[in-house]
Amino acid sequence: MTVHIDNMTRVFDSPNADRIVAVDELSLTIEDGEFLTLVGPSGCGKTTTLRCVAGLDTPTAGTIRVDDRDVTELPPQQRDVALLFQDIALYPHMSVRENMEYGLKIAGVPEDERREHVAEAAALLQIGDQLDKMPASLSGGQQQRVALGRSLVRDPSVFLFDEPMSDLDAKLKRELRPVVQRITDEIGCPVLYVTHDQEEAMTMSDRIAIMDDGELQQAGSPKEVYSEPTNDFVGEFIGQPAMEFFDARVESANGTAAVSMGNHTVSLPATAAELEGYVDSPVRVGVRPQQIGIGDPAAGIEAEHVLDEPLGDETHSIFETEFGDVTVVTHADFDGDGDTDYGLVLDESATQLFDPDSGVRIH
Amino acid sequence: MSTPTETPSETETEGGTRLSYETRDRLYNLALYGSAALFSAVILFPIYWMVQNAFTDSQTVITEFSWLPSPETVTLDNFSVLAAGAVPRYVINTIVVTAGTIVVVVAVSLVAGYGMARFRFRYKQSFAQFLLLGYMFSPIVLGLPLYLIWSEIGLLNAQIGLVIALSSISMPFAVWLMWKYIQTIPESMEESAWIAGASRWRTFWDVVVPQTKPAIVACALFAFAIAWNDFTFAQILLPSQESTTFAPGIMRLIDQGGYTSWGDIMAVSLLMTVPPLLFAYFLQEYLLKGFEVRTR
Repeated sequence: MTVHIDNMTRVFDSPNADRIVAVDELSLTIEDGEFLTLVGPSGCGKTTTLRCVAGLDTPTAGTIRVDDRDVTELPPQQRDVALLFQDIALYPHMSVRENMEYGLKIAGVPEDERREHVAEAAALLQIGDQLDKMPASLSGGQQQRVALGRSLVRDPSVFLFDEPMSDLDAKLKRELRPVVQRITDEIGCPVLYVTHDQEEAMTMSDRIAIMDDGELQQAGSPKEVYSEPTNDFVGEFIGQPAMEFFDARVESANGTAAVSMGNHTVSLPATAAELEGYVDSPVRVGVRPQQIGIGDPAAGIEAEHVLDEPLGDETHSIFETEFGDVTVVTHADFDGDGDTDYGLVLDESATQLFDPDSGVRIH
Repeated sequence: MSTPTETPSETETEGGTRLSYETRDRLYNLALYGSAALFSAVILFPIYWMVQNAFTDSQTVITEFSWLPSPETVTLDNFSVLAAGAVPRYVINTIVVTAGTIVVVVAVSLVAGYGMARFRFRYKQSFAQFLLLGYMFSPIVLGLPLYLIWSEIGLLNAQIGLVIALSSISMPFAVWLMWKYIQTIPESMEESAWIAGASRWRTFWDVVVPQTKPAIVACALFAFAIAWNDFTFAQILLPSQESTTFAPGIMRLIDQGGYTSWGDIMAVSLLMTVPPLLFAYFLQEYLLKGFEVRTR
């Protein structure tokens, strides 16, 4: 199965405000067996996209196809998808077993066969001993396992996830991630996973699609969107801590290019010719906090130390500069001092240039 | 920091006429329990009187007056009226009408409440407010036009006619309650069932209805109280001796001319008081759940 989303637009009419364009001409393909994560800030249209694929919402324009079948207007009952909800949505009046076999019961699968499927799924999810309990007596993580099991037993042709882990704590998330990956591998269908958590997106996906304001910003493998963002939004959204930006100006001398930020200049690996049109113009320089070094004030951007967040294996240090607060990933032993003047040195090979108006990546 | 010994002097200086906390507390409790006792007496004494008379020899009820029942006059004879004359008819009619009203109210309020909770339609808010308008009319105002209409279409003296009338006056509350209750059930549960392949109707039946049990009980109890205790509609819409219910029936027992057997009437009354009490007692847990709006 392959899911094709073509030029999909979803507009909401609201009676007292302007029309809201939740999704704007989105085109995306999810290959068979591919784990695609749709990530973006809240209100970016990712959940609306997922609901359209599930059949719980209908696009205003555009089509959704599963293989060659146009499912755009089909009700959810006829789509053969599975959806994991943020609020888990187990039926509180049914036992774990009844919850898991409900889909099969609807499909008219005989009881002994249902039991077999449920037992298999429960074993895989390690909830075999919970089957006769009621959902309310399970922990959040166990409930989400049951919900996974409920989808697993149906063997759907498309698997959808709507921020299923956002209500769980960090430790449970880390525990559940490999479970989700195992289950989706097991089913082997296209997976659309919606989250606002870039870490979840990075760790689980084959491919990440980043959305903002209803529009697709970039789609690519986790490594690709991390190292080659198409614009400053993607650069900032993907990666932890977020990419730092500096207002700068491109200068050219003897065919090599450099960017100057305040009184600090960084030469670029690019030639002036490659930056055609931007020489002597303002740009935004983006650097990941891991690629910023600490040195003398004369050697870098002047900075005053604000605070350190020690994480054990590394430290996130925050500095105040003329460009605002800048986070730098420093050595675990780093201990900043408010009285000392520091200079932030950008790794020239890791700098990325963005158009200051459109945000599009130049180099 | 103030020490405990300073506290009394502070109260004195603040105002000499002010009562101490203890006195105020005592007065408050006195007023509270006093008023509770007064209202209990007003409500409970007639019930006591009913019970006492129901078990007292019918001759004694009329000729003598005593606050307490005396052992030699206690009797179960009054209850023989339940098997005689029109009384069994009344009781059966009441049970039929009440059961019918409960079934109609629960069924309609479930569907209507679901519709209001889950579908968007124009003027929904106005519709909800209009529902409550039904309460502004007293039964007698509605009853008389209904009498004319029912006699025209042949529903007069038919229990189904009374069931329809009682259901419609119970409906505003029941629909409103069900609407608010169903709103507290997360929609994602239904969506999850649709995705699993269940139709909207099947989902309603499998996922929504089982979760509305407390609201169903509350609506049923409300409908029960309306139907069981109804006098006005039954008197107007079921005029014949054969078809009428207990409340108008007992009035007829009193009006049977000359001799009124208070002992019999109290026995019948007592019998009709027991079911509502049992109903309320055994379902009170559900009832309270039905009225509390759950938080998500």
